[in-house]
Amino acid sequence: MNAETCERAERLRAEIREFVRTAVPADILRKSSRHLMLDKEEYVRWMRALQSRGWAVAHWPREHGGLAWSAFERFVFEDELGRAGCPWVIPFGVKYVGPVIYTFGTERQRRRFLPPIITAEEWWAQGFSEPGAGSDLAALRTSAVRTGDHYVVNGQKAWTTYAQWADWLFCLVRTSRAERPQSGISFLLIDMRSPGVTVKPVRSMDMCHHVNEVWLQDVHVPVENIVGEEGGGWKLAKFMLVNERTYGSGLGESRFALERLRALPHRQGDAALAQRIVELELRLLALECVSYQSLSDLGTGAETGAEASLLKIRASEMYQDILEATVDALGHAGVAYDPETLHGEGPPPLGPDDAGGILRYHLYSRAATIYGGSTEIQRNIIAKSVLGL
Amino acid sequence: MNAAIDTTADETIAVLRDSIERYTAEHYSFEQRWSALRGARGYSERAWADYAEMGWLALRLPEEEGGMAAQAQGIAPLMQAVGARLLLEPILTSAILCTGLVLKRASDAQRAEMLPKLADGSLKLALAHQETASATVTSPVACEYRDGALRGRKLAVLHGDCAVRYIVSAKDATGRVVLCLVDAHPTGLARHSFRLLDGRGAANLELDGAAAQALGAPGPVDADAAALAESFDEAAVALCSEALGAISALNAATNQYLKVRRQFGKPIGANQALQHRMVEMYMLQQEVRALSLAAQRALISPGVERVRIICGARAFTCGAARRVASEAVQMHGGIGITDELDVSHYYRRLMVIGTLFGNRDFHLQRFAAACERDGVGSHESKARC
Repeated sequence: MNAETCERAERLRAEIREFVRTAVPADILRKSSRHLMLDKEEYVRWMRALQSRGWAVAHWPREHGGLAWSAFERFVFEDELGRAGCPWVIPFGVKYVGPVIYTFGTERQRRRFLPPIITAEEWWAQGFSEPGAGSDLAALRTSAVRTGDHYVVNGQKAWTTYAQWADWLFCLVRTSRAERPQSGISFLLIDMRSPGVTVKPVRSMDMCHHVNEVWLQDVHVPVENIVGEEGGGWKLAKFMLVNERTYGSGLGESRFALERLRALPHRQGDAALAQRIVELELRLLALECVSYQSLSDLGTGAETGAEASLLKIRASEMYQDILEATVDALGHAGVAYDPETLHGEGPPPLGPDDAGGILRYHLYSRAATIYGGSTEIQRNIIAKSVLGL
Repeated sequence: MNAAIDTTADETIAVLRDSIERYTAEHYSFEQRWSALRGARGYSERAWADYAEMGWLALRLPEEEGGMAAQAQGIAPLMQAVGARLLLEPILTSAILCTGLVLKRASDAQRAEMLPKLADGSLKLALAHQETASATVTSPVACEYRDGALRGRKLAVLHGDCAVRYIVSAKDATGRVVLCLVDAHPTGLARHSFRLLDGRGAANLELDGAAAQALGAPGPVDADAAALAESFDEAAVALCSEALGAISALNAATNQYLKVRRQFGKPIGANQALQHRMVEMYMLQQEVRALSLAAQRALISPGVERVRIICGARAFTCGAARRVASEAVQMHGGIGITDELDVSHYYRRLMVIGTLFGNRDFHLQRFAAACERDGVGSHESKARC
């Protein structure tokens, strides 16, 4: 990366810091930096605050309303937000389905769906996984049968994050039984208000409601809501999963979490903990260097194609380990848990203000090595694509 | 990602890398290396002369003195080859560290006398600093330099067995660290040579009034100590590259072995348990590569993050090397523990690399101190770019 790129990145970092200081609603930052649960209204305000600078979709091309940011700028952006303890940039619209629509969608689909993604007027959810199709996504069984100008969809989607808030579901469905399971899959946009759509909450072990089952029973979806060709959905899904595993790698969040661990006051002088922190610092340095190196290798021929898998494995495991060490350092405050306090009302039963949030993040972070292609799947990918095993 | 590296430098480095790879592939295969390893010297004089011929020993020299004025990025490909091909010659100690000290501290007359000989290979310099067996580089120097003579002990001097001259760290009458030049065979110097685990030579030196001269004119207070400290950072960065070369070679060998070794009617690499462990080794290699590159940049651009990145890179690399080497032996099975196979030679070389100029514990402590001191959260992003 040349000096100009680096200077631009530094200017962007400064802008983002200024934004965090002055433009992020204080109530939201207060909650997110304590890892408390944000509700839909708060997330929408957050996404709109980002978009007030054009940043929610800054990585989109200009013709579709973005700022044509490079992968590096997007990385810097997410890194800075993470370091500041900002909320999650809800990815379903801006990062996942939006790029699929502007890359593969029709002009009508672009005009219909992109503007409300940009303005956060419509909330999207992802309908990929199913009870029988987790790591083996191509085994999905939700069927879509063409009947006149509709598809009739039947099946069940699993682990659908924030489906309870969603207006739309982008969904992988089976439109034919082909020999290769991948070839019969299509990419459909489903209105969550359609008759036959049922959302059933699934409480996770942090006792919160993030994920859902989405049941689809004779749901009629207009044929114009298919993106790309019938049977061509697998290509779109792969395109999206690559976007999902961007070079972000959650460095900023890990730095934020590790700084929090370092700052826990009552643990000063604990040699065993100090040793753990140093080892975590070392892993974070390695992750940081690999992240920057991957970005620097982009398009130079030094790419292996497996960078995203490596980053995902390392980042998710490290984040879990940082939180685990923090929970350990909290002692009994790391096992006292009152989910009622996770929405911002009142302090946790024991420990510092953010003890409940830290514990919640620890519990929910167990999912980080499972979603978006589990650690085992990522290792399979590297074994196959780089090592030829 | 550093602005200081322009395209010409990149191209020069690429040409150098090619020539190193071509030469070592042709002349320094594992089989060809045996005779050097088993010979009395433990290295190849012929190869050493070739290195001089190809300009590798003059890498660090200024261009006007026939060198390439190579910085860390230029030294890296050579050190990577040292690791990948298990070169036995005193490249690190003479051509990189001691040449660096000469460039930093020698007087004009000393430079004029030594630089041509360093470049043509006739002068092998070794750095005599260690005074205890401890794998650290910062313990206080007890060796004394008074009235042109050295008294004290220096231990485990890498290539001390074949060096023609030494750069010795000592303290003068005022207690300051000074760097001295002493020839290998004056009266008052006894050298006890031995081999390291990887077959390279080393020596313990007993200095009992050996005639020596200061390296350069007395500089500002602590100039020699600063130059020495810089050399140790250079050593740390160079050893990361050497380890990367060895790790990459080991991984290539193990990966290949997983494909050809058959048990239970299939290649052992068909087992997911082994695939995932091989992936771990690959990931460590990628991390070591990224850290090495970051450490090279940190070395030439002094800043708050310098120690943190260099020591972090070195500590991580030591750990990664141990893991990769152990796994390589394990996955090769019985043959992995034999002297006959290169795997065990890489294993032993990596043990030596992991001990020279500070081991993992040493660098991890310095890394920890740097994290504390610098408050890492605030400026690390800038240093990466």
